Amino acid sequence: MGLLQNKWIRFIKGCLVIRLGGDYLERFLNMCRLHNIYLWDIRRSEDICYCELYASDFFRLPPLLRKTGTKVKVMKKRGIPFYIPFLKKRIIFFIGVASCLIMLNVVTDYVWAIEYIGNLQISDDELTDFLEEQEIHYGMRKDSLDCEAKEKKLRETFPTVTWTSIYFEGTKLYIEIKENEKSEPVEIKTKGMDIVADASGTITSILTRNGVPKVKAGETVEEGQILVAGGVPVYNEAQEVIDYQIYDADADIWIQTVIDYQDFVGESYPMIYYTGKEIHTGFVEAFGRHFDGLFLHNLFQNKQIVYETTTQKQQLVLLDNIYLPIYYGKIDRKEYYLRYLTYTSDEMEQILTDNFEKFISGLREKGVQIVEKNVKMVQNRSNNKSGMEMIGEILVIQPTGERRPIQMQLETSGIQ
Amino acid sequence: MTKRDLLKQDLISAGERFADTFSMPKDMVVNATLLHMVGESDIFVENFKGIISYTCNEILIKGNHTKFCVCGECLVIAYYSNEDMKISGHIKEVKVIREA
Repeated sequence: MGLLQNKWIRFIKGCLVIRLGGDYLERFLNMCRLHNIYLWDIRRSEDICYCELYASDFFRLPPLLRKTGTKVKVMKKRGIPFYIPFLKKRIIFFIGVASCLIMLNVVTDYVWAIEYIGNLQISDDELTDFLEEQEIHYGMRKDSLDCEAKEKKLRETFPTVTWTSIYFEGTKLYIEIKENEKSEPVEIKTKGMDIVADASGTITSILTRNGVPKVKAGETVEEGQILVAGGVPVYNEAQEVIDYQIYDADADIWIQTVIDYQDFVGESYPMIYYTGKEIHTGFVEAFGRHFDGLFLHNLFQNKQIVYETTTQKQQLVLLDNIYLPIYYGKIDRKEYYLRYLTYTSDEMEQILTDNFEKFISGLREKGVQIVEKNVKMVQNRSNNKSGMEMIGEILVIQPTGERRPIQMQLETSGIQ
Repeated sequence: MTKRDLLKQDLISAGERFADTFSMPKDMVVNATLLHMVGESDIFVENFKGIISYTCNEILIKGNHTKFCVCGECLVIAYYSNEDMKISGHIKEVKVIREA
């Protein structure tokens, strides 16, 4: 009787709840039994009786009903066969649901989002470049990615990465890495470096820690001149140079030099004026195509309008993990127009003075000592460039010294 | 009791004795009705001929040689097939009515 008790089979085959009435109900039940018509849930209520049977068996009842004088009325229909007309009426809806599921199945075979986890020293951009080199990108098939091989490649490319895991969750690709927090001290290989002047001027002080100083305080030097040499000569007993010991020259050198200063402020400048009109539209981006409401709005506008645009963009995500190649959001546009205004001479002077002060304070923050300032403001009235200019020179004392390899010097000296 | 009835009674007794002797199920040998009761709410009936009467409080079942009366309240036939039936409800009494 397992079959009779299985509700799912009853639902699939379809069943009816019927009401029976008559004087010979017991005889009717017995005849149903003899004709292999299964009945269940038989409930007697005074003269009538309710029971359930398979829908297909209902058509075998008439002879039995006639013989026993029983009247029958269908009270309820259950099961899939009774849903077929309902399904037929809404076939388009069900086709839509089915195609949606098929589309979802297809789309979830691709990567639609990438996230980096655990990178502190290595930036997201570096990892993105690495993925591009490895041809890992949005829209690639998930099964075409060999995660283990790429993990190995990632560890090889970035030596600071001690552990890595590349895995999928839904359509999102996770690049999880762990970096070596205790970075090993970098071995500095001595190649031999000179320190050369990066500006012309007078040396005010020189403190050499490594190498041979070639200038003294008070001497005038040209740009590119060697200030401290990295090759330390080794002399023999006859005071002849027999070899050079190669070092990286290291010294604190201060130079008094002149910095040219030039700044310009145009007489006219643009100013944004908002008209107060704002347009808020939604947009959808799917498979590289962009749709928004501004296109319709512009159809009714004759003149070209300029907007300040703010966009909020979100990716469509199903069940937290299935990222689809569909983006949506809203675009807020503020209408504005530009108007060109003119500065007065006082305003231009003020702007130039402020800029100069900022420049000077910037130099001081870098540790540069200001010795003398010699600048002047000039009114410029040419057609192309009307405005005010500040030009001049600033005498400063600043650190100098640029490291350069000493290889050339050794070759020219003929000693290796 | 007619001669035929006596003969029939003897045959049944013989069948029962045979079943006892060879440790065979009696319901198969003498075609007896099998009632299997679970607690006081369910009763399974096999090897019966049909229902004689059915009300909420009483179901009279025809066996091969006897009748069985299941008395109780809110009696429902959970299923009714060619092989067996299940009666559910608050069963109070099961009576065996021997045919005269």
